[in-house]
Amino acid sequence: MTAAVQLSNVSKTFGAGADAVHAFGPVDLAIEGGAFISLLGPSGCGKSTLMLMIAGLLAVSDGEIRVNGERVSKPRTDIGIMFQDNTLVPWRHVEGNIALQLELRGLDPKANQPKIDELLKSVRLEGFAHRMPHELSGGMQQRAAFCQALVHDPKTVLLDEPLGKLDAMTRESIRNDLQALWMQKRPTVVFVTHSIEEAVQLSSRVCVVTPRPGRIDRVIDIDLPWPRDLAVKRSARFANYVADIQGIFHGFGIL
Amino acid sequence: MASASSETARLGPRWFDPLSRWAAKSWMFVLFFIGFFLFWEVSIDLFQVPRYILNKPSEILLASRADLPRLLEYTYVTGLEAIIGYVIAIAIAVPLGLAIAFSSILRRTIYPFFVSIEMTPKIAFAPLFISWLGFGLLPKVIIVFLVCFFPIVLNAILAFSSLPDELDRFCRSTGAHWARVFWKVRLPAAMPQCFVGFKYAALNATVGATIAEFIGSDQGLGFYIQISTGNMRPDLAFAGIFLLTLLGLLMFGLVTAAERLLIPWHISVRRNA
Ligand SMILES: Nc1ncnc2c1ncn2[C@@H]1O[C@H](COP(=O)(O)OP(=O)(O)O)[C@@H](O)[C@H]1O
Ligand SMILES: [Mg+2]
Repeated sequence: MTAAVQLSNVSKTFGAGADAVHAFGPVDLAIEGGAFISLLGPSGCGKSTLMLMIAGLLAVSDGEIRVNGERVSKPRTDIGIMFQDNTLVPWRHVEGNIALQLELRGLDPKANQPKIDELLKSVRLEGFAHRMPHELSGGMQQRAAFCQALVHDPKTVLLDEPLGKLDAMTRESIRNDLQALWMQKRPTVVFVTHSIEEAVQLSSRVCVVTPRPGRIDRVIDIDLPWPRDLAVKRSARFANYVADIQGIFHGFGIL
Repeated sequence: MASASSETARLGPRWFDPLSRWAAKSWMFVLFFIGFFLFWEVSIDLFQVPRYILNKPSEILLASRADLPRLLEYTYVTGLEAIIGYVIAIAIAVPLGLAIAFSSILRRTIYPFFVSIEMTPKIAFAPLFISWLGFGLLPKVIIVFLVCFFPIVLNAILAFSSLPDELDRFCRSTGAHWARVFWKVRLPAAMPQCFVGFKYAALNATVGATIAEFIGSDQGLGFYIQISTGNMRPDLAFAGIFLLTLLGLLMFGLVTAAERLLIPWHISVRRNA
């Protein structure tokens, strides 16, 4: 069976000679289709670098990455990608920004209107379709950005700290919607976060990344029932996962 | 849209709303403005200023009315020089800025060249152009072009080379053709910074035309101001200055209106910031 995303001996070094920065790896990892994988690690350990390499937006220095069996050598168009700073453009309203993803791909937004409406509803933005980004709160902007990243039904979704700039309560609320969306569509998700709780709640597996140069220190299967609602989050097993991971980062000298 | 009319009680007809809001914000400035001219008006008598040095605003108004046909004709002449030079500057500088932003060769050759020329005051070339090309329209248009071109091209280069990384990556991940990315993302994203250059250049345009006329011409407001000053008619010189100010305001106002029309989203983003 081929993994949805396969990393083989992947590493990245920026620059050359005395100024070279070894940013990431080497790392081996297989991500099975439909999984929700979190990359959990300190700032600067190379998580964003890895996301860009999986997307084909940055070349690997060594090793190889395969997505659905295909070696990544140029930007992949079959993924959905979302960054900490969203890619909503200020001259289009919410719906127009979602349509931008389709238009850039040469698809007809009108033909996809039902899908756009459904996505907006799933992130509770119905009624905000014609608002401009600057009229929305930070949380609503990220919700709109989710729709933009998902409207072309990508099989693989890369989320680089999409909730990084939001307040705790907004994060919590968007997490639940994100989980519902994933359970419904089941894309393969690679999710970057700083929050241990967030990683445990959302993921089927959590990859613990070491400080730079980032290596995957542990891969932890999160064996908790779906959906991970309040009852699950209050359970002792949930708390155990969180405590274990905290212990690992303590061992790195970070916590 | 939650308009201001729902926030503040409406006092008069609809057109009155923006007017009253403007008045509420600007009454101090208006008072100061009126006060300034009143002070000027009475000072001339008070300090017994000779009329060949300076006139009262009321005398300037009367003199302008008497010489209105010529003033309007010259406003047209100077306006034409300024607008032609300005439009040509935009037409050449924006595509060139785009080319420089995307060509590594141009970035390493023309761009540093432009940056160094930007240091020289373009207006210093004016006498040369007049001596090469005579008293007609062409040398004035060229001088206006020179003083408008550099702010536009430098802002256009900045505009087209500063797309945020995230947006660039998003576009690349769609596999869209370069031209499609340009029309849908790069061009609109560059407009606000381009307009910074357009507005700056609009202010330069009338300055360029006026100085070019000072150096050599037989018509236009710059010529008129110079002749009037030489004839010890400061009232007429001020009439010319007043019309030049109106011309500058008109050009700046037109560019600002174009900005509102073309990129209304930017104005509202800026206002909310
Ligand atoms: N283009 C680049 N050139 C040089 N160094 C870079 C570049 N991009 C990232 N780095 C370095 O690589 C390391 C990993 O960066 P990044 O992937 O952004 O980390 P993370 O997302 O985990 O916070 C950092 O030390 C960063 O300074
Ligand atoms: Mg990062």
